[in-house]
Amino acid sequence: MKELLRVENLNAGYGDMQVLWDISLEVKEGEIVALVGSNGAGKTTFFRAITGLIKPYSGKVIYQGREITGTPAEKTVSLGIAMAPEGRHLFAGMTVEENLLMGAFHRKDRENVKKDLEWVYKIFPVLKERKKQLAGDMSGGEQQMCAIGRALMSNPKLLLIDELSLGLAPVIVDVLINVVKDIRDMGKTVLIVEQDVQVALEIADRGYVIETGKITYHGEAQKLLEMDEIKQAYLGI
Amino acid sequence: MKKHIIPLIFLVILIIIPPFLSGYMLRILTAVVMFATLTEAINIIAGYAGYPAFGNVVFFGMGAYVTAILMNHGFGFYLTLIPSIVTAVLFAVVIGFPVLRLRGHYFAIASLGVNVAVMEIVNNLKIAGAAEGLTLPLKKGANPHVVYTYFYYLFLVVLVLSVIFTIWLEKNRFGFGLRAIRVDEDGALAMGINTPLYKTLAWSYSAVFTALVGSIYAYWISYIDPETVFDPIISVKMFVMMLIGGASTVYGPLIGAVLLELIAEVVWSKFVNIHGIVLGAIIILTVILIPKGFLDLFTGGFSWRRLVQNIKENMI
Repeated sequence: MKELLRVENLNAGYGDMQVLWDISLEVKEGEIVALVGSNGAGKTTFFRAITGLIKPYSGKVIYQGREITGTPAEKTVSLGIAMAPEGRHLFAGMTVEENLLMGAFHRKDRENVKKDLEWVYKIFPVLKERKKQLAGDMSGGEQQMCAIGRALMSNPKLLLIDELSLGLAPVIVDVLINVVKDIRDMGKTVLIVEQDVQVALEIADRGYVIETGKITYHGEAQKLLEMDEIKQAYLGI
Repeated sequence: MKKHIIPLIFLVILIIIPPFLSGYMLRILTAVVMFATLTEAINIIAGYAGYPAFGNVVFFGMGAYVTAILMNHGFGFYLTLIPSIVTAVLFAVVIGFPVLRLRGHYFAIASLGVNVAVMEIVNNLKIAGAAEGLTLPLKKGANPHVVYTYFYYLFLVVLVLSVIFTIWLEKNRFGFGLRAIRVDEDGALAMGINTPLYKTLAWSYSAVFTALVGSIYAYWISYIDPETVFDPIISVKMFVMMLIGGASTVYGPLIGAVLLELIAEVVWSKFVNIHGIVLGAIIILTVILIPKGFLDLFTGGFSWRRLVQNIKENMI
């Protein structure tokens, strides 16, 4: 499998407060990779650093063999990296369909945008039912679907999902897990950041565990789930 | 197209009405048109992009001063318009770069600060007549009514331009991007919208129309000083008109300008001593009863249930 994203010795943070220390990570095409860790471990900061929302202090982000370290967010989206941000950040005053179209904001190929819209509706039928409804009036699970659908509308190669399960009912989480797998089967690569280690490692092919800004373990998701240290620290068994 | 028919009828009336008006009425109507344009301009940055530009009057003052200074150096009025626009846009870009990073109240305060700073600079600028202000050459005409009509039409042209621009903005990608910034700037950024560029452009467009109005105002009044053309009260007025009429709509700001300017005129003549109180009460009532503005009342229809709901939601 070809490598899609490689992060080398990434150091990043906010001003004097360094959050990430020498993070290295790799995502191959067609994989689902999970970055797991508890609150405050630096997961969201990691996403912000690779999507260009903050500038890393040092290290490299290589995407499709090209260095994109510090490329601003509006450019990384057109390179094919889409993000479903934590807390969803839907546009509350806009309808579901308008929200989805916002995901295709930078695209010029209008014909394909229409096709992709139908495609997203196929993945999330509930969004089609509610396309005229205001996004802010939907339930948390539906909003998360809308956020993922919106990210897919930019026709990304790499889909970043920040906190897939946060604040959602277990039933909804199960639905979303299957959807993420479907999205991968349709040829997208997924990098997911998640505080629910169980959920994340169930979906993912490989996983990285981050603790206070440093990667402590990584490997195949199944093997990580079986590790005693991880069982004790995150799964409570 | 349908929703533009009524405004078009109003436009025709506005075009043919001047000969039938007294000098006093024409002056009031000119002020209404002027404030409608200023409000339409602030609507771009404060309405659509959601950045409360409380210092927007700074562009008005700049336009006025560029025209005044240049006309005092022998330039014709129309020749001063391009420099007026260029100055305002340059200022919006240079100041916007740092100031537009602030959000919400912080931006409002910073833009207000910028306005006061520019006013103080002009207060001490020899070429701008410092605190004494500047006198402009008078517009010549056969009689006062002809002169007043001339300025009325000038303002009207800029108003029409600003409305056309806003209609274009509503339909355009750019307007869509601004709406996204207003609702959720982080979300907009994650969607790949170049938010710093969009915000700066929005403020620049706002500056263009505000500066043009400032230029015409200076020539119309023919005497300006820093205290009047950089008066923060003008900004407040634009803001209130926008809110009363309906923010981030094409025609809301115009309705707001008409209502507030006419109400202010009536209140001012009937209740000279307490006109501030009456105006303040009207503003508070509007914000509580119809927070989306009067336009919403016309297009969304009136219902007691919504009125009661608004009262419940907006009472302090």
